[in-house]
Amino acid sequence: MLKNYLKVAFKVFLRRKFFTFISLFAISFTLIILMVATALFDNVFAPQPPEDKADRSLYVMGIRLQGPESQSTGPAGYVFLERYVRTLPNVEKVSLYTTPNVVYSFWKGGKIKSFLKRTDGEFWQIMGFQFLEGGPFTVEDEKSANFVAVINEATRRKFFGDESAVGKMIEADGQQFRVVGVVGNVPIFRINPFSDIWVPISTSKTNAYKSQLLRGEFQAAILAKSSADLPGIKSEFESRLPGVEFPDKREFNTAIGGADTMFEFASRMMIPSQQMESQPRKLLAIIISLMVLFMILPTVNLININVSRILERASEIGVRKAFGASSWTLVGQFVTENVLLTLIGGVLGFFGSQFVLKLIADSGLIPYAEFHLNYRFFVYGLLTALFFGLFSGVYPAWKMSRLNPVQALKGAGGSR
Amino acid sequence: MTKHLLKLVWNRKRINFLITVEIFFSFVVLFGVVLAAVYYVDNYNQPLGFTYENVWRVAVEMNERAEGSHSSQNTQTDLNAPKEPTEEADPPAAATFKQLMAAAKEFSEVESVATGTVSPYGDGTDTSAIGDDSNLIRYGVNLVSDDYPQVLGLTLTRGRWFGKEDDGANYRPVVINEKLSRDVFGELDPLGKELRRPNLPPKQEEEKSTPMRVVGVINEFRKDGEYTAPENFLFQRQLLNNQMRREPNCLMLKVRPGTTAEFEEKVIKRLQAVAKDWSFEIEPVTKMRETANTFRLAPLIAGGLVAGFLMLMVAMGLTGVLWQNVTQRTKEIGLRRAKGATARRIHKQILAELVIIATFGLIFGVAAVVQFPLLDVIGDINSRVFSLSIVISLAVIYALTVICGLYPSWMATKVQPAEALHYE
Repeated sequence: MLKNYLKVAFKVFLRRKFFTFISLFAISFTLIILMVATALFDNVFAPQPPEDKADRSLYVMGIRLQGPESQSTGPAGYVFLERYVRTLPNVEKVSLYTTPNVVYSFWKGGKIKSFLKRTDGEFWQIMGFQFLEGGPFTVEDEKSANFVAVINEATRRKFFGDESAVGKMIEADGQQFRVVGVVGNVPIFRINPFSDIWVPISTSKTNAYKSQLLRGEFQAAILAKSSADLPGIKSEFESRLPGVEFPDKREFNTAIGGADTMFEFASRMMIPSQQMESQPRKLLAIIISLMVLFMILPTVNLININVSRILERASEIGVRKAFGASSWTLVGQFVTENVLLTLIGGVLGFFGSQFVLKLIADSGLIPYAEFHLNYRFFVYGLLTALFFGLFSGVYPAWKMSRLNPVQALKGAGGSR
Repeated sequence: MTKHLLKLVWNRKRINFLITVEIFFSFVVLFGVVLAAVYYVDNYNQPLGFTYENVWRVAVEMNERAEGSHSSQNTQTDLNAPKEPTEEADPPAAATFKQLMAAAKEFSEVESVATGTVSPYGDGTDTSAIGDDSNLIRYGVNLVSDDYPQVLGLTLTRGRWFGKEDDGANYRPVVINEKLSRDVFGELDPLGKELRRPNLPPKQEEEKSTPMRVVGVINEFRKDGEYTAPENFLFQRQLLNNQMRREPNCLMLKVRPGTTAEFEEKVIKRLQAVAKDWSFEIEPVTKMRETANTFRLAPLIAGGLVAGFLMLMVAMGLTGVLWQNVTQRTKEIGLRRAKGATARRIHKQILAELVIIATFGLIFGVAAVVQFPLLDVIGDINSRVFSLSIVISLAVIYALTVICGLYPSWMATKVQPAEALHYE
């Protein structure tokens, strides 16, 4: 029976190639856009290496200072983080690191541009980097201001070609570092771990960072003992903010911020509000409504196509009914057809999204972009397509299947 | 005639409703993209105010960040904070900047050098405001040295640039752009006036500080480039002596045409020799412009591609549905032909019906998008750009529906009366 349905389905697809093409185009195109959007989203937010302990990690990525006449938003100062984050209870480890700076290296007659991040030793224990050779620098290296560096694969290629880099010296921003480890490239959207070169904080050109009280260029990663401790750490940090000491209260007198997950921090920065609140639910709602808005158009299109497609087959239904097919049999047949079409569209969409993601990665617009298809969302998208395909195809089919065979035979079944 | 067509459309309301919904959403999606595109084109056609060819920016990081807002991005700084001239010696940073400028000028490739606190196409912005809360006029600020207009090729429309003649004056000389002049002084001539609303008395804290006096007006300075909307802008004089209010964070170099990238290393090495603890970053402004514009245009291009594919999908779907409709209506059309209607008239009927259906969708579409400015969903987009975008989107959707209807309506004219009458 099923074999027969499939046979008929293929015949129908081939008879109206244009309609088949439009349906497939709509399904696969919608899936491609959804997949690319979720892959970009995952590239920023999903827990993936090096942030493999994201389920018990929090970040203090920026604070806002407010005063009577001015405000200042951005990364915090070293002293602020040492004083109010390093000392938080119930945490396993805290790491401080700078935002990446652009630095130049003049190397063998050429100029190499890279990002340089200064970190402490704990950084390497919180982030799970994959080392291609060598290893991280340690807490000891940071304490004794050793000029050592970890570089990424792309930087190794720029400096040394295909050779091994560990033990060799590199120059960056006029300073000399000995390479101790090489890690895989980190996508630029992984804001916390991202850089090309990582060196100890204590190798900074001056000690000025040690007097950065409030605003500066530092961020902190907090690794909790377990994910259950996260809410407690968040509220503890927020309760400390009103007690922050200000050197000049006429300039600034309030500090706003929080220990956030990446998504919470994004909601803080992207939804404009005076108090810079973290509103992850609101951001999620905005993202979902944008997605729904985008999906409406292909859906209406699909319904339209399906409804008119079914009208065309009035006489076929008439014949089948005249020969004794029940309404349920007919509906079953149309369901099979729709599922088949959606699945073909799904397969096309799957390969299409792989292709588009590769295109974006190869375009070089996003350095070290590394995309993975989110299979969960792929299934969601496919189910949605299936639902609307069935809904739009089955409903008219069911109505038609209940038509008087004589009328249907005459081809007058069009629901007016 | 129209009434008759409306009746025909109403008779097939179920299928026509779906088409109306589709056209409604197509319009809304298209409008979003068209609005962004028109906004960018409109901005692009307005003067930029500076030249970026052969200008290089050297970002200077002193590695001894002062506390507070000064060197941070996205800050609103109070430039009116009182700082009285003192007899102190020049701060070391000011002296170093003087040395850096002198060092850069030594190169024969460098035509002129200036310092600034924000650079064209750079990340940082710096804004300040005058007026009270109900009528706040915001403007971008750049503290620059006297040679800045030579480096960036700024042109004055009125007055003069600040220079040596302002040394020791009891005011702070500023140059503003025409837009800021209009916003603050209206039609009055701003030259020689203090930067304050003409009809408002000075605020208490303003009286304490040295007033800002307008010495010149430039046409425009759009720091973020040609795709951003024109904004108010103000240049203040950078003094590299004991009255320095804030350190510069970049050097702007005007280099001779044809200077190659190899020169970058020479400049950096020379500057590094002057200030060992500072970090420098050098980049031609043309390159910064490319990067900035790529990032500004990328979302529009991505959105345009998606919208383009959506429109293609809608167009194909619509063609399919209309074609199906026509085959359904063979009888009706055949009857009209038999009663003497010409092919031309049938053609017109089908297209007119389609235009009516589209109009329904578009009425709702326009009604929906005019809510955007009311709900404050989009920022300050002027009404000219907004209405032009509506017109363009309407034209595109109408054109799209008519094109989709061409083939099906041509099919309809091919209906043979005999074939149609066959049915009964």
